[in-house]
Amino acid sequence: MAGSTSRTVHDIFQSMEYGPTGASAATAQAWLESRSRALGLFVDGRFLLPADRQTRTLTDAKGDSVCSVICAVEQDVSQGVTSAASGFRSWSALSCHQRAKVLLKWAGALGQYSQCVVEVSDLSQASCSPASLVRLAQYYSSWAQLRDTLLPQWSPLGVVEVVVSDDCPLYSLMLKVLPALAMGNSVIVVPGLSTAPSALLLAQLLTEAGLPAGVLNVLTGSVVNLGATVAGNPTVNSVTYSGNKQDGVALCKTTAGAGVAVSVSPVVGASCPFIIFESADIDSAVDGAIEAAFKKRKEIQWVLCVQESVLDSVVARLKLRMAGLKCVALPSEADRSLVEAAVQGAQQQGATLIQACGPPATGLQYPATVLCGVAPSSPCVTSPPPGPLLPLMSFRSNTEGVTLGNHSPHGHAASIWTEDLTLALEAAKSLSVGSVWVNSHSVCDPSLPTSGHKDSGTCTDGGQEGLYQFLQPSSSPPSLTRSSPASLDYDKFGSAGSPAIVPTARCVCVAPKFYQQFVGGKSCKSESGGSVAVQAPDGTSVLAYCPDGGRKDVRNAVEAASKVQPGWMKKGPSARAQSLYSLAKGLEAKRQEMAASISAQTGLSLDEADQEVELSVGRLTDWAARCAQGQGSAPAVPQAGTALSLPQAMGVVGVVLPDNKPLLSLVTLLGAAIAKGNAVVMVPSQRYPVPALTFIQVVQASDLPAGLVNIISGARDQLTVALANHNVIKAIWYWGSPEGCQYLQHTCTGPFKALWLHSHEEDARWAQPSTSLLEETWHNATQWKSVWIPTA
Amino acid sequence: MSARNPGMNMDLEWVSKVRVNTQAVLKRAQQIQSVKLAKKQWQAAWLLKAVTCIDLTTLAGDDTPSNVHRLCMKAVQPVPYDLLQSMGMHDKGVTTGAVCVYPSRVADAVKSLKAANSSLPVASVATGFPAGQTPLKTRLEEVRAAVADGAAEIDIVINRTLALTGQWEAMYDEIRQFREACGDAHMKTILAIGELGTFTNVYKASLVSMMAGSDFIKTSTGKESVNATYPVAIVMVRAIRDYFLRTGHKVGFKPAGGIRTAKESLVWLALIKEELGDAWLGPHLFRLGASSLLADIERQIFHYVTGRYPALHELPMA
Repeated sequence: MAGSTSRTVHDIFQSMEYGPTGASAATAQAWLESRSRALGLFVDGRFLLPADRQTRTLTDAKGDSVCSVICAVEQDVSQGVTSAASGFRSWSALSCHQRAKVLLKWAGALGQYSQCVVEVSDLSQASCSPASLVRLAQYYSSWAQLRDTLLPQWSPLGVVEVVVSDDCPLYSLMLKVLPALAMGNSVIVVPGLSTAPSALLLAQLLTEAGLPAGVLNVLTGSVVNLGATVAGNPTVNSVTYSGNKQDGVALCKTTAGAGVAVSVSPVVGASCPFIIFESADIDSAVDGAIEAAFKKRKEIQWVLCVQESVLDSVVARLKLRMAGLKCVALPSEADRSLVEAAVQGAQQQGATLIQACGPPATGLQYPATVLCGVAPSSPCVTSPPPGPLLPLMSFRSNTEGVTLGNHSPHGHAASIWTEDLTLALEAAKSLSVGSVWVNSHSVCDPSLPTSGHKDSGTCTDGGQEGLYQFLQPSSSPPSLTRSSPASLDYDKFGSAGSPAIVPTARCVCVAPKFYQQFVGGKSCKSESGGSVAVQAPDGTSVLAYCPDGGRKDVRNAVEAASKVQPGWMKKGPSARAQSLYSLAKGLEAKRQEMAASISAQTGLSLDEADQEVELSVGRLTDWAARCAQGQGSAPAVPQAGTALSLPQAMGVVGVVLPDNKPLLSLVTLLGAAIAKGNAVVMVPSQRYPVPALTFIQVVQASDLPAGLVNIISGARDQLTVALANHNVIKAIWYWGSPEGCQYLQHTCTGPFKALWLHSHEEDARWAQPSTSLLEETWHNATQWKSVWIPTA
Repeated sequence: MSARNPGMNMDLEWVSKVRVNTQAVLKRAQQIQSVKLAKKQWQAAWLLKAVTCIDLTTLAGDDTPSNVHRLCMKAVQPVPYDLLQSMGMHDKGVTTGAVCVYPSRVADAVKSLKAANSSLPVASVATGFPAGQTPLKTRLEEVRAAVADGAAEIDIVINRTLALTGQWEAMYDEIRQFREACGDAHMKTILAIGELGTFTNVYKASLVSMMAGSDFIKTSTGKESVNATYPVAIVMVRAIRDYFLRTGHKVGFKPAGGIRTAKESLVWLALIKEELGDAWLGPHLFRLGASSLLADIERQIFHYVTGRYPALHELPMA
């Protein structure tokens, strides 16, 4: 503030202006000085500053240089991975209690050095309150203590890589790191530029708290490249990402085919509805909107949706409250031109602005701006620019408000304002987002599992559900095999046509049967009309012909599935359980026919085939029983308020089935998916489709709504491509080739799909009575929503 | 004081639509309290502004002409002349907003101030202060008597019985009558928020008081168990904002009771600045009802000017 010191008491007495309140950063500066303002890597429990590396400069909000951060190269990566591998050995050798103790001790250290932590995170523009970090530490320390008691069938993955983008907040980074550590994994963090200093500082504190060397390693550099390099190392067992969408997509694409699962939480940049109903406390809602939309570094792009009957009163209050707001600093010049273009574009469409003052001619300051009267089609709503802009739209009825809020590719969060309890809960249930904040916004707690819905993520963070990201069933090997990405032509994958079927001159006593597939509740031929031959187990004769399904069949199936799925979800678990019981009964009734088809298809003896049918009936009954058990909870949270944790269906799930146990694997996956309220589009094994196609009769005879279960046969790769390129499908469970896995990892990024990939077959698990497969399937069929209601 | 609020016809529909979310208000109050305020000359200037907004008050059974006289003299010169001089504020008319006394002491206060050639207004509480549980007739008479003795501002208390039982029209009518009895004297309406139960009731009572023509709304008498709190203030100033948006009339706000420290007075100013804007930051639309607050502000100003903390006896007593 130039000339501020020359303001006299009388000047200020007249103007009543706020004075300068520069936050002190002395402690942070001292820590940076102790590291000579050149930050390197944290490997094997100590700081490393290898020479001759490129560096990146971190600047503070004013654009002054804070410190330099080096970019790790191949050699540093292998050093980091070796350290993490030995770290995992020492960390997993400790008892649960010892691990818990380290995390608790770290919580204490955070309290001791809170000033330093606050200042370092502030200075590097990744602000995070130490209280929220302490809460993370305490919460995950309790899980570290109880892992073996409460999750007995699960083991740590090994080395977990946590990658975050440059603009990711520190909290989101630690929300990945701490559960990974608590479950006994060692971690390699690839922080973004802004979180790098804090990550290094926290790693130092963790080591001081007794974390064995190598358990937590920090490698700095350009996020996507370095992240992919680390992920390419076969020692790394899992990759998880948090941050903006672009870097997430890039990371998924570059790591596709490396044989490592990548889960993504694109928490930064999602556009989220802020819905004000007429029954709201308008003043509080407006305050909330201003606080949320115009804070300095916001991760969420809010879109204000206001019920028409209170629109004038909201606008009037916005004008009054915004009159006193200062300009907000933009991160860069490029952002400024984006913001200006968005404002101009909106104005050309007739939007009016609410601003405290006109934007200054140049510089990185921009006034808080509400764009009134934009429409869902406006560019500032579809692709909101960064900066202090808040588009405002109006809606007529409560239902339309929810529809408007849902009409977005994002499903990260929503804030709704109403004093009407019924409306609040109904809206919270109908909004397809991971977090719903009633009469509040941006509250988080690690005890609540939340999943990004739609394009907002492929994994669940927080709560017990969030831990499975960092665990594997103790009894089974990893589902992906490490490999280096094949040079796959993604445009050509799955496009090879099937050979045409022509009547052969060969005389067969029994002509092979032509099977039909099952789409939208009807058995039918494929859209193309073509069929493919199914070989008999001896491989010499044609057993049957099945439809050659393709893109259009998948389209029809998804259309039917997405129509029927919400109603199916709404029916509730007990009604779904009854349907599953009757499906099991129907299967039992067709026992002989099913066994015969399995036997004919796979060459198993009739006895063995009959056993598979019996197991399948048991599996369906098992799902029905689990379904009838209550799910979801109201966890106690430290903040004043009530929180609900609600399981949600993924929506439409695409399943590419394995060759093994063609019936048992089908009903296992189908049962879990529909028990949880999903609809399925299933692709039977290309080799052994007949049992699945026979099973269609059982589904037809059941009371499952038409379209809930679809079975499309044909060439696996071709159908995989069709599933991957349908944006309504939220999850794909895949058993098939490594190339198929690579294709899916590369393609399912826009929008993100939750992928459960298996690049090799294992026979044993399907028939095992072990619960871990069932649990794993169960988790994959669900996404989580948390609802916050502040109360006394 | 600013232009008077003429009031308006009772609008029950408006009152019935009021909704206040307690938790959101509490959160906003926390947020306002955590606003960091500047030090040095900013703090000094803001504190002096707070001084000019104080209704320097004595409301005790043992009030006599002598302590009322001392209070008046303190109100005229709330900060020692030499301190003001070193800040360049000695000729800027820094006095408190008013002195506030019981009706029977109004004449004493008017006399003292007149003798000191001061135009400082004398405010009087009235209408059965603090409980308001006396017949309407005597409450009206009390107002007229205070005005006749020279009170320029009357702090009336609302009838809590009417508010708690939802008889908003009856409350409107009473306040209307008080307003008539006040004549040219400005009327501040005390809501006694500690006895209204909910924030929603506070908001409704604020609206009804303003509709009936109050020039100020005031939190409490200082005699209830709960006095001026920030969350309640947020509810009241939002009602003021609502009324302003609807009618264009600016109604003032006076928190009273329990405000004792200089720091609190700064938070109050920040709250007004945040919620209502700079237009409300002055004695014409904002008052702080307090008796011991002034001493703490003086102490802070003494420290700003001299760099030392004073002993209590170094500051003129009230």
